[in-house]
Amino acid sequence: MSATANVGRLLPGGLGYLRPPAEIELAAYGVDLRGRRVADIGAGEGRLALGAARGAKTVLAVDPDRTALRRGRTEATRRGLRNVTFRYGTAQDLRLPDRSFEVVIFSWTL
Amino acid sequence: MVDALEEARRILVDDGVLVDARPDSRMSARVRARSATGRVIGTIGSQRPTKSDDTHSDHAVADVLRRGLFTSRRRGRLWHAIPFEDAGELQDYLDDHLRFSHRVRWRAPRAARAGRLFVERAVRFDVLERR
Repeated sequence: MSATANVGRLLPGGLGYLRPPAEIELAAYGVDLRGRRVADIGAGEGRLALGAARGAKTVLAVDPDRTALRRGRTEATRRGLRNVTFRYGTAQDLRLPDRSFEVVIFSWTL
Repeated sequence: MVDALEEARRILVDDGVLVDARPDSRMSARVRARSATGRVIGTIGSQRPTKSDDTHSDHAVADVLRRGLFTSRRRGRLWHAIPFEDAGELQDYLDDHLRFSHRVRWRAPRAARAGRLFVERAVRFDVLERR
């Protein structure tokens, strides 16, 4: 069953990131991440992945940009997040086990 | 694009959820004066290749729904608000932008464009459940 939601909702952005804070954006999608295994595909530097890690059981951030992955790992360490992992990969060829995540995020990935 | 959605489905558990968010170039970005809720004084369109890319993304999502790989749990549109100190800073931003047109279509006289500006850009999202 489909539903339309949040039409017109305004999320604050900022020149520093040009996207809203992860927690606000994730909440707008209305998906409960608590205790879930989450994969953020096309994660870049992990803006959403790091935000998701606060509630999720584990977060895997996948991206083909190794520089972005390094930055993400550094930021995860700085925040003391131990449940987020950054891995090289592309959305078309994830090389991950079947049925291994409860939530997958594509943010500006398609 | 469809192959990426199929790959996402493969790694999801039964009833797992895919959140797909993507820019919505069908909606022009809106330029607001002074605050994120201020008067709309201009719009910014998207470059032609961007519109084509976004259409392909929409078709990919429609394709996996039609084939019954996912069901739609929720969908909607969000607006991201991006602040700029003034029209000059906004123009600098647009000059290098890969998606937006490089010019604002102003709807207000120059005097109304002074000061802080906010650009709202549309983001479309789908929450899909694995079948």
